[in-house]
Amino acid sequence: MCLGIPMQIKEINGYNARCEAKGVEREVSLFMMQHESLEIGDYVLVHVGYAIQKIMPQDYHSTWELYDEVLEGEKSERV
Amino acid sequence: MPLNAKTWLKEINSLTLPDKVKIMNVCGGHERSITQAGLRSVLPKSVHLIPGPGCPVCVCPEEDIYEAIQLALKESVTLVAFGDMLRVPVNLPRHEIRSLEQARSASADIRPIASPTEAVLIAKNNKEKPVVFFAAGFETTILPVASMLAEGVPDNLFVLMSGRLTWPAVAMLLESGEPGFDALVAPGHVSTVMGPEEWTFVAEKHHIPTAVAGFSSTSLLAAFYSTLRQLIEKKYFLDNCYPEVVHKGGNPTGKQYLENVLKVVDANWRGVGIIPNSGFALKEKYASHDARVRFPSYADNSRQRIGEMPAGCDCAKVVLGKIYPNECKLFGKTCTPREPIGPCMVSDEGACRIWWANRQRH
Repeated sequence: MCLGIPMQIKEINGYNARCEAKGVEREVSLFMMQHESLEIGDYVLVHVGYAIQKIMPQDYHSTWELYDEVLEGEKSERV
Repeated sequence: MPLNAKTWLKEINSLTLPDKVKIMNVCGGHERSITQAGLRSVLPKSVHLIPGPGCPVCVCPEEDIYEAIQLALKESVTLVAFGDMLRVPVNLPRHEIRSLEQARSASADIRPIASPTEAVLIAKNNKEKPVVFFAAGFETTILPVASMLAEGVPDNLFVLMSGRLTWPAVAMLLESGEPGFDALVAPGHVSTVMGPEEWTFVAEKHHIPTAVAGFSSTSLLAAFYSTLRQLIEKKYFLDNCYPEVVHKGGNPTGKQYLENVLKVVDANWRGVGIIPNSGFALKEKYASHDARVRFPSYADNSRQRIGEMPAGCDCAKVVLGKIYPNECKLFGKTCTPREPIGPCMVSDEGACRIWWANRQRH
């Protein structure tokens, strides 16, 4: 429940942003990011629909490499 | 150039280790990464990785789940909760409704959500009907819930708060005199929002090596190396092996909202008992959105007393890192993800479920 998803900001409208990761877009709240100046193209870590931390582009890519491995592993789950 | 996983492993193997070292993690995400990457099998045999209290679904007390079920069944409300909570069974006879999922099958209006913003949207679109948001989770999840309330929510949205703080559970274990671990990997995303400083007490007060880790094998192995080296050199400090995300002070905006909206209270942990200052409750100024104020309480005292695990289920010991998941005699036999008996087999972050799904054995 505490896993953060790295996403890229595509649009900002007040405290709401349209963010994208792996071709999927989601509405994300920037309400917890008022201490940061965020711009379109920036990367954020998103948890339960809220951006919780600004991250660097290289960390976006490395985290997704990791998650892709995890998701690949889960396909073979015996559930 | 930062070291990669292979190099960290080589560094760990070059250490002269004691016969047995137990490193505990307190994050379901860590346990998942460790298990899926098979890190246990590549570390020296003397290093034991213990999953501890890292699953908020697993420790959510039975009386709160019961309360949510009863509210959904007896009051004319829409109940929303994070998906994981729906399947957690409470300890009731088989003919009674034992989970939110069963209550939903019995036509209660219960909807899984993935974000507090969905709760707001559901309330906005159904102004005539009260919406109860059953909010269980650790700090990473509860800061967004507090932020949601601070931003302003419709009058018909009520929060059934069941959030927990992670560090008091570790403090409780350390103060018990038998912590059951020699080193701690502190949670990555709890530290992201709250700041890593919360974990300093483990190293400084209790002389237990501590390192914050992320979720990659590289970050986890760096944290293992750091704690093992601290142990050998007897120099204890809080290391940050997830510096790209975890910054001093955490998320100041989220923490400010947490402070404004919620208070810290003594709280019951399923199978563990009351841990001082380990839970969240709404402050009085948010009473108009507090489900515990708005609705009658269905969780009577007798329910609080039976707030334990089902017969034969060792989830309580698993949560506290006292045994490995497959040491429970129900594990993989009568208790599986398809028909879970204890909460640790329900949640994606529950150690039993992670071990079962990855065929991990001790």
